[in-house]
Amino acid sequence: MEENPLQISTVVGLEIGSINTRAFLFDVVEESYRLIASAVTPSTHIEPVFDIGDAIFEVLSRLQDVTGRVFLDHDANLIVPSQPGGEGIDCLVTTTSCVPDLKLAIFGLLNEVSMDSARKLANASYARIVEAISINDHRPYSAQLDAIVAAQPDLILFAGGTDNGANRSLQRIADLISTALRVLPRSNRPPVLFCGNPALADPMRQLFERHTKVRVADNLRPSLQEEVLEPAELELNEMIVEKTYEKVGGLQRIVPLCSISPRLSNHSFHRVIRFLGQKYDPAKGVLGVDIGATYSVASYANRVTSTLNTFHLGMGEGMADVLQGSKIQEISQWLDQPVPEDEVRDYLWQRSLYPNSLASSPLELSIELAAARRILQLIMRELNLRDACPSTRFEPILMSGSVLTRTATPAQSLLAILDGIQPQGISPVILDKHGVAATLGTLAEITPLLSVQVLESSAFTNLATVVNITSRARRGVTVSVARLDYSDGHTAEVEVKQGSIAVLPLPSGSKAQLYLKPVRRTEIEEVDSSAEPVLVNGGVCGVVLDARGRPLKMPADEQHRIALLKEWESLLNHQ
Amino acid sequence: MYPQMTQIQPLTLIRRNRLLPFPGEVTVRPGQKVNATDVVAQASIPTRHYLVDVRSALGVSTVAAAEKLITRKPGDLLEKNDILAETGGLFSKVIRTPGPGRVISISKARVLIETENETLSLQAGLAGKIHQVIDDRGVSIEAYGALIQGVWGNSRIGFGQLLVDDASLDGELTSSALSLTARGNILIAGYCSSEEMFTAARSAQISGLILGSMPSLLIPTALELSYPVILLTGFGKTGLDEYSRRILVTNAGRDISINAVRWNRLAGDRPEIYIPLPSEGEPYQWENSFSVGQKVRVHSGAYAGRIGRIDELIPGMTQLPNGLRASAARVKFDQRSGAVLPLVNLDVIQIKD
Repeated sequence: MEENPLQISTVVGLEIGSINTRAFLFDVVEESYRLIASAVTPSTHIEPVFDIGDAIFEVLSRLQDVTGRVFLDHDANLIVPSQPGGEGIDCLVTTTSCVPDLKLAIFGLLNEVSMDSARKLANASYARIVEAISINDHRPYSAQLDAIVAAQPDLILFAGGTDNGANRSLQRIADLISTALRVLPRSNRPPVLFCGNPALADPMRQLFERHTKVRVADNLRPSLQEEVLEPAELELNEMIVEKTYEKVGGLQRIVPLCSISPRLSNHSFHRVIRFLGQKYDPAKGVLGVDIGATYSVASYANRVTSTLNTFHLGMGEGMADVLQGSKIQEISQWLDQPVPEDEVRDYLWQRSLYPNSLASSPLELSIELAAARRILQLIMRELNLRDACPSTRFEPILMSGSVLTRTATPAQSLLAILDGIQPQGISPVILDKHGVAATLGTLAEITPLLSVQVLESSAFTNLATVVNITSRARRGVTVSVARLDYSDGHTAEVEVKQGSIAVLPLPSGSKAQLYLKPVRRTEIEEVDSSAEPVLVNGGVCGVVLDARGRPLKMPADEQHRIALLKEWESLLNHQ
Repeated sequence: MYPQMTQIQPLTLIRRNRLLPFPGEVTVRPGQKVNATDVVAQASIPTRHYLVDVRSALGVSTVAAAEKLITRKPGDLLEKNDILAETGGLFSKVIRTPGPGRVISISKARVLIETENETLSLQAGLAGKIHQVIDDRGVSIEAYGALIQGVWGNSRIGFGQLLVDDASLDGELTSSALSLTARGNILIAGYCSSEEMFTAARSAQISGLILGSMPSLLIPTALELSYPVILLTGFGKTGLDEYSRRILVTNAGRDISINAVRWNRLAGDRPEIYIPLPSEGEPYQWENSFSVGQKVRVHSGAYAGRIGRIDELIPGMTQLPNGLRASAARVKFDQRSGAVLPLVNLDVIQIKD
């Protein structure tokens, strides 16, 4: 093991979600960091307790029970650092997605420049844009003022002006913000983040500080060509965390115990994806999606660029937005049995009332996975509209969220992911089965080695390597013959038919050479796949050859559609 | 593990805080009796402003010169056509106010006038006595009576006499419930599955509607209604549970309050029905774990809406029919029927038999 300058051995990561609180124990095993155990309990920041401390105590107690180790003393205090007898831990980090609904007003100069960057920043965050005002906004001053007051924002983001650039226009917008702050009730004045022309940072601070708290970050657009989001993103996250302290009882109390202040889950998840983006094929990019109860997060990264988008879509509170943004047929088309649409709709609305509930029958599980597919589709559509993924070919796809990990078989998870994301090219699909990715992102700030080693460990499940084969052939016609040459010398071959899925077994941890011989004109990657073999990784569902077409269109006939869904799941299950 | 809980109490002490989102004026005093729709606090929110740039309107060369021409100061109340600024002299140019309002600020020769504001009125939500006044923010209200917690509401508050129509009680809301006597009263039904019945109920001028459930398709309609709608079990056609039904039927003819807020666990807001009673009850309790013998209501799946009793807490993890594994309990609905259900799908019902 490399020398660890911090001498951190026993580490606990807390992940505080709006529904559940998780604890992860990491320790050094055979000179390498490993995820030793995890525990989960319902979060208690809500009625009747209104204090997350109870959930933290409960989850740490469970972790003690599972591992037989001692982290809490007789007074229920966390023992930090670890003692010679092995009690206690060396490091605690907290990551949270338990963020209240926050309204954000954004201000800038030009729509295509600073406002575009401000919007990206807002889209990355847990906050929701409720008002956007730029110099392209032609409403009268008083109407703009009324709009801000009516929106009652929790946070204000103010960008605009390149370094040493626009001055007067920015001051006009600043005057509007200042007036709005004055008009809003003192106790409800939102804090302001200024991330525009740095020459105006001091005057802006002085202007707004009379009314509210002010933060200043580096300019989002130092020049018209350059965009620097990260410093402002960090400041905005801190503002969101401060707002979260106000609403989530007990969260601030654990700050002194943590090695770094609590981090937001979306940002930490993005950190993991950015790390992976440096490691994999630069021509593609890593896609990570985390489906939560209230929010879902999509992160993309390659060696050059990265994007983070947070959506108010989820399997709990976020279900209302999923249902309002979808026709019910767009969900029910993924059900493998005939179910009246009203029943599907009612089940999902009921789930939004009880976000902690669990699918207890095959039908309920099927409805939840259908909703997960729809969430993924909505996310992919929005990423496309926001131009957030330069490539539609991903290596790998990292999926997180209990709706995908709480399935009966890996095939159910994989099929939901494939139907929802519909990846192109060759993509390994990895499942974050413990929901640990965001915690690793937070830990990377303190002990990057731990994050790297756990990411490469069996804490994550390789579901499959998926090869998408596109052809214009008729359904049922063989479009390709796939052969896998295993390292022990034996081979396996399968015909891939248009409109179907074919599977070649290849266990997790194994690699093999994949040969694809097109029978019809097909497209797989930018490369000519018929000439050269492709080295592929194994997974619990093997190597999956998906020739169902992009975009995947489900037959209108219900019986036919159900038969197909059953057939696909069966094929993946019996690899 | 804290279980999800629902209070269905025939007689208890109810204490609820009602708070403004920002400071305002509390309009009641401690000990005062209030009805559900009585306003207990109010705050003014400015909604419309008008900005007058005196310098450009009067064609003055400098801001300082323009400021000297302004005849008003912040806080001044204005009537329509009042003079805001004037140049003076024989041919004086004047700026008059476009309508009544109040001067908010004067900065750089620009006068900001608030021309309209909205009053946010905070209703009591339940009939009771003001227990405590929270300065500038609201009150705590106390009452003795029956309490039934719901799961969904259309964000309205109402009160009226509880009217029980036997035909609707165990099934769909029928037109027979919307007779002439329905006016000003609160109705109960197992469920309502048609938009037309909601509209008919509005025409009948009812004061509120208590439903076991309704199809989620009707959410947009219910949100538009002027009277409160509260769901006790959720979406679908599950109807009323037997305990809520029993309390409601027992109290037919009494004045009741409905606070049909949206369920917000973070804020502790929950849709509720209050029935003030002359007797005094004890405060209700919250359970901090599941235990054998607890009454539970199933909130999702095939048994949704059914009430039973925990017969056994199954140790470890139990495999469900769909292959998932979860902490589960054996729930007995009656002498002959029961089911093994995940704990997270159970609502512990606090009720004294």
